[in-house]
Amino acid sequence: MAFLELGERLRQRGQLAAAATVALAGLGHYPAVADAHDLLARIRADQGNDAGAIAAWHATLECDTGHLGARKGLAFIAFRSGEFALAERYLEAAAMGAPHDATILAALDRVRSVPRGSTEDAVRLADPASGVLLFDMQGMRLAGTVADSGDVSVADAVSADAAGLAREATRAARLLGLGAVRHIVLETADARIAVIPVRHDAALLLHRSASTPLGRLLALGGRAAHAAREWLERMQ
Amino acid sequence: MSIAGWQDALREVTGVAGVRGALIISAEDGLVIAETAMDDLATADVAALSAALVSRARRCTAALHATPPESVHLVGERGAVLAVAGPAPLWLVAVARDDAELGRLRLVLRDAAGALH
Repeated sequence: MAFLELGERLRQRGQLAAAATVALAGLGHYPAVADAHDLLARIRADQGNDAGAIAAWHATLECDTGHLGARKGLAFIAFRSGEFALAERYLEAAAMGAPHDATILAALDRVRSVPRGSTEDAVRLADPASGVLLFDMQGMRLAGTVADSGDVSVADAVSADAAGLAREATRAARLLGLGAVRHIVLETADARIAVIPVRHDAALLLHRSASTPLGRLLALGGRAAHAAREWLERMQ
Repeated sequence: MSIAGWQDALREVTGVAGVRGALIISAEDGLVIAETAMDDLATADVAALSAALVSRARRCTAALHATPPESVHLVGERGAVLAVAGPAPLWLVAVARDDAELGRLRLVLRDAAGALH
């Protein structure tokens, strides 16, 4: 698609208004092309229009849920706005799609090295970008979603299977005399997953890239469990 | 790897402080293939429960569209079970007390499971 190349060339030359015109005209003909939305987002970001860039990158992800450029772009905007935890979440999601991408891993290291305030680190269960999935022990989703998908049907399926895992872990712990379950951690080639009981009737799941240190994953899980308990109490 | 090699791998795992026993299990049927454990550890139970846990973990990662689990850790208040995938269908499993060095145990298990091939 020639308009993508032309728009990108204009953007790189700093002719942002012309680049936006080309991108919008292209989108008029190809509204389902993720790269067209991504081009518009980069132009908006260059124009300093963060809200426009965010909207365009969200549109990109609606066309292609695994679009790396959109995740990196959203992380960049979040980082520029001082929302480091959110930037980390977007980069984590990007790293799950491209676990060996050196630019993403370097950006993750940079974001993680930034000292954070307690408010900025707060877990927002209702925010899909938090990457925390809360479910009851019958496998019904209570809040949140999983890291690389805003798709609630995926989150519902994960809730059902994660609850099964949590129940199996509770049974194994009881029969083997391990006491109450603190956490279950799964390591795969591309991800690290923690399932943490929140109360006797609920648990949460954290899904992060394989680059996340285990101790950090569990520290995040501890904070998320605390937030989840408060959330459940408010709901009752 | 020979049976003697498997026993070496198990001994390496039980050499980590706080480990009560180590087993090689078949995750398909939950049976013990080889073991080195303290007398009071019900290794058949450990094998069956670990296999069930691995099966549940696989379903969970599949729902997440992630690759299958290479390790599964169950940590409780009084101890832990760590399982690491070896050549299919084998898994290397360790049962540890609550004072065990889980970070070191995880690394030793990964090395030993890799050597089961």
